[in-house]
Amino acid sequence: MNEKQPEVAPLVQVDHLTVTFYTPTGVVHAVRDASFEILRSQVLGLVGESGCGKSTAAFAIMGYLQGVNRVDGYISFEGKDITKMSASEIRRLRGDRIAMVYQDPATSLNPSMRVGPQVEEVIRTNLRLGSEQAHERAVGLFESVGLADPENIGRRYPHELSGGMQQRIVIAMALACDPDLLIMDEPTTGLDVTTEATILDLVVDLKRRVRAGILFVSHNLGVIARVADRVAVMYAGQVIEQAPARELFKNTHHPYTAGLLSCVPRPISEDEVTTKLTSIPGVVYEASKDDIDACLFASRCPMVQDQCQEKAPEMFNAGHGHESRCFFWRDVPKGLWGKEIPREEIGHEGTSVLSAKNLRKFYGRWQRKYLFFGPQVKPPVRALVDADFDVKSGRTLGVVGESGSGKTTMARTVAGLTPRNRGELQLRGDDLAPEVEERSRQQRDALRMVFQNPTASLNPQLPISHAILRSLRKLAGLSRRESRERAAELLQAVGLDPGYLERLPGELSGGEQQRVALAGAFAGNAEIILADEAVSSLDVSVQAQVLDLLGKHQREEGTSYIFISHDLGVVRYVSDDILVLYAGHVAESGPADCVLKPPMHPYTEALLSAAPVPDPDAKPTSIRLPGAVPTLLERFQGCFFAGRCPRKIGPICDQSPPPPRIGSDDSDHIIYCHITADELKTIQQS
Amino acid sequence: MMTSNTIKGRDWTAVFRTGGSGITTSVRALKNQFMLAFRTPAGRIGLPIVLIHLTLALFGTWLAPYDATDFVGPQLDAPSWQFLMGTDVFGRDILSRVMSGAGSIIGISAAGALLGIALGTIVGMGSGYKGGKTDEVIMRIMDGLMSFPSLLMALLVLTIFASSEIGQRLPQEGWVILTIGIVFMPPISRVMRSTTLALKTQEFVQSARMRGEPAPYIIFREILPNTWSVLAVELSVRLSYAILLASSLGFLGLGVQPPSPDWGLMISESRRYIVAAPWVALAPAFAVASLIIGVNLLTDGIRQASRLPQKGTYP
Repeated sequence: MNEKQPEVAPLVQVDHLTVTFYTPTGVVHAVRDASFEILRSQVLGLVGESGCGKSTAAFAIMGYLQGVNRVDGYISFEGKDITKMSASEIRRLRGDRIAMVYQDPATSLNPSMRVGPQVEEVIRTNLRLGSEQAHERAVGLFESVGLADPENIGRRYPHELSGGMQQRIVIAMALACDPDLLIMDEPTTGLDVTTEATILDLVVDLKRRVRAGILFVSHNLGVIARVADRVAVMYAGQVIEQAPARELFKNTHHPYTAGLLSCVPRPISEDEVTTKLTSIPGVVYEASKDDIDACLFASRCPMVQDQCQEKAPEMFNAGHGHESRCFFWRDVPKGLWGKEIPREEIGHEGTSVLSAKNLRKFYGRWQRKYLFFGPQVKPPVRALVDADFDVKSGRTLGVVGESGSGKTTMARTVAGLTPRNRGELQLRGDDLAPEVEERSRQQRDALRMVFQNPTASLNPQLPISHAILRSLRKLAGLSRRESRERAAELLQAVGLDPGYLERLPGELSGGEQQRVALAGAFAGNAEIILADEAVSSLDVSVQAQVLDLLGKHQREEGTSYIFISHDLGVVRYVSDDILVLYAGHVAESGPADCVLKPPMHPYTEALLSAAPVPDPDAKPTSIRLPGAVPTLLERFQGCFFAGRCPRKIGPICDQSPPPPRIGSDDSDHIIYCHITADELKTIQQS
Repeated sequence: MMTSNTIKGRDWTAVFRTGGSGITTSVRALKNQFMLAFRTPAGRIGLPIVLIHLTLALFGTWLAPYDATDFVGPQLDAPSWQFLMGTDVFGRDILSRVMSGAGSIIGISAAGALLGIALGTIVGMGSGYKGGKTDEVIMRIMDGLMSFPSLLMALLVLTIFASSEIGQRLPQEGWVILTIGIVFMPPISRVMRSTTLALKTQEFVQSARMRGEPAPYIIFREILPNTWSVLAVELSVRLSYAILLASSLGFLGLGVQPPSPDWGLMISESRRYIVAAPWVALAPAFAVASLIIGVNLLTDGIRQASRLPQKGTYP
């Protein structure tokens, strides 16, 4: 972080930018009033929930929005106004002076072209270099973005590279012509946490090396805290607060920013206390609504006054380069969104509701070269290999792991949506059949599931009452009248108006849809609710609402949860027990407070260290995992984690499978590692 | 996936009890689509053509100046004020025959196309939802059926079954409808199968499985409403094929039997006099052509229109 700001004209100055789209369904005010500036060698973080106009603002700077849209205001790039440039002038700027990195690296690269020529093409057209020189420059770029084997990597196709490597190639391409401005639109959102951490390290490193200004768009405050020097918070198309990063996180001067910060579950708090999450009620002021002469956040704000409803606040200068669009910026208190309440701890005891032994699921089978003959050529996908776990009554089992670790397969085999290959699954001592169709009504009633994508989990052609009513009638065995009444109660319990019952899912927001899905899961007398990434697609402010609903239901009904997520922060917040999965194997399991403290499995340690923390002063941790999650095709001779383990001790890791070791004092805490628990504890505490 | 107890599951009737809202929304959607069609050039030409044919189909027999089977004039008379399209070899008025024949061909082809879609939907969705070996076997049978050219397939069905003793009990029109349905089943079942495969992995289907819904309920109540757009396109394409197939069968003498006024049959009967009296063949040929063109233009119009933006608020 550079403390002293050089007194130079900003590279990009955005002044009162307004972007309006005229769509067939109406006018969309995507950006209402955004002003910010980007300096050279500085990262400006643009943060906000979905639908707040972050990406649109970035596109406006790229000059992508000429046409049917109205772009008002002033975007100066080194003194020239981008909004007034002709198409050919803008084209000359793009690629050469301004470059962009998009969210999904897989779609930014041409899948039918080797990555080297793709980068060289950019260099040749923009810098007019010969092919020899272009190749040399491409290799140099690959090296500077930290790709291993830069000489040869250009000969690979995009699908031969992992997501992290693809994103590095895209960044190399963006850097190809030494741009003055680099725009990164959610560059790590589609990546795994451990990969995300390495890409963020690269961005921080680039900032030091390249003299470019970087605009970093993200919805994740933790990511922003790690890379940004200055942060602009957007809400409903307005920049509502802007400050140097540290200042913003320490002295928040806008209630919305304060709310966002308190919504984010923190993986490790210093005092080791899990705090209760708060949520921001209501939804973002819709882009389809017209500008009003009032504060757009007023309807959700806990410190709203009459003044806020009558007059739109302007940007107030709070000193130290800190600006806030709030009349009462001086008085935003620390605990505005509720005190940090320690979450009540549940003891370690509890009877087992669901237990799984040697649960295994392989997709496909060995395929031979010539249909029925010849050598075996294609192995099955080993999605879940002999997992053991217990779900205890009234407790939450958090399952965490990166993509491809077998989390979803585990959920689906437990739910009976995909039949297991082998292993035992018992619900209160009774065997569960592999497929849900073969289970008894009571068993189906006891095990309910909430899916990741709320939009897909409700039938788009049927009113939302459909799924809830069917659950009530089929599982709880209620009559037609009773189920109508109960459905209305359930909707109220999840904070929705019973009038919603006859609406179609498309008329609801993502958060509301997920609450309907929860109402459906609560409909019967579920003993266990499987939540498969149930909050991953929701905005942080809504995520907290859903998590609170789950918690409330658990306290009232004593339901157990299996809560699956890639986000360690969320898992840590909700779980009583944690199961860490890696490449289809259980790496570590046990009570939450044991799993997240040394001694822990090296993989758990890496996950913890990679998780972004919304605090710019958080100590940068050093553990980074190289490479990607292995393909699930091979059968591991030794330890499943040996290929990426930063704590590998020697050939034993590659030769024999790791023994289960009892970590710490709790006999339920099991670590699968060759290193003994005591040794792990010593290394990890130092 | 589907086990015996779920087939016998007591709630399978719910499919029919609660199916109402789906049908009414479909009807409303259809009406809106026709309104939309008028906003495209193709629809503006196609809609009147189809409407004229529909009027003829419903009221043609009454509107016609003569009875379709009466010998009212001289043989092979050229078009005149008395007989606007001339007369055929038996001295019957061609205009009256064309007008009276509209009903049977439109009825037969529409019923055939709908039957084909119904059969194809049941086979395709069932096979796709069941998956595994059953799906494999059913789809290979469909591939086998599809490898016959459609006219040959129709000939086979008609000659083998329709002329048999039991087959005689069903009127020839019924056999033509059934034939069109059987010929159309394989390609439609393929389309519906792939749609079902895409939809059955959707989470709302998974959650229906977890509720313990029987397979027929999931297929018809959860999946079917979401295939409406696919079915609409399929119906629009199949309708014009069905007209073509029905008139081809008539031409081959396998459709409606003489002396009924069938367009295909009329063209076939006039072959011998095509040089001396071309009007005898031209009138029914023009009728078939205009009907197919009209249906194609209308359905194209509907498809284009549904992709057009609604009346917006452009600046």
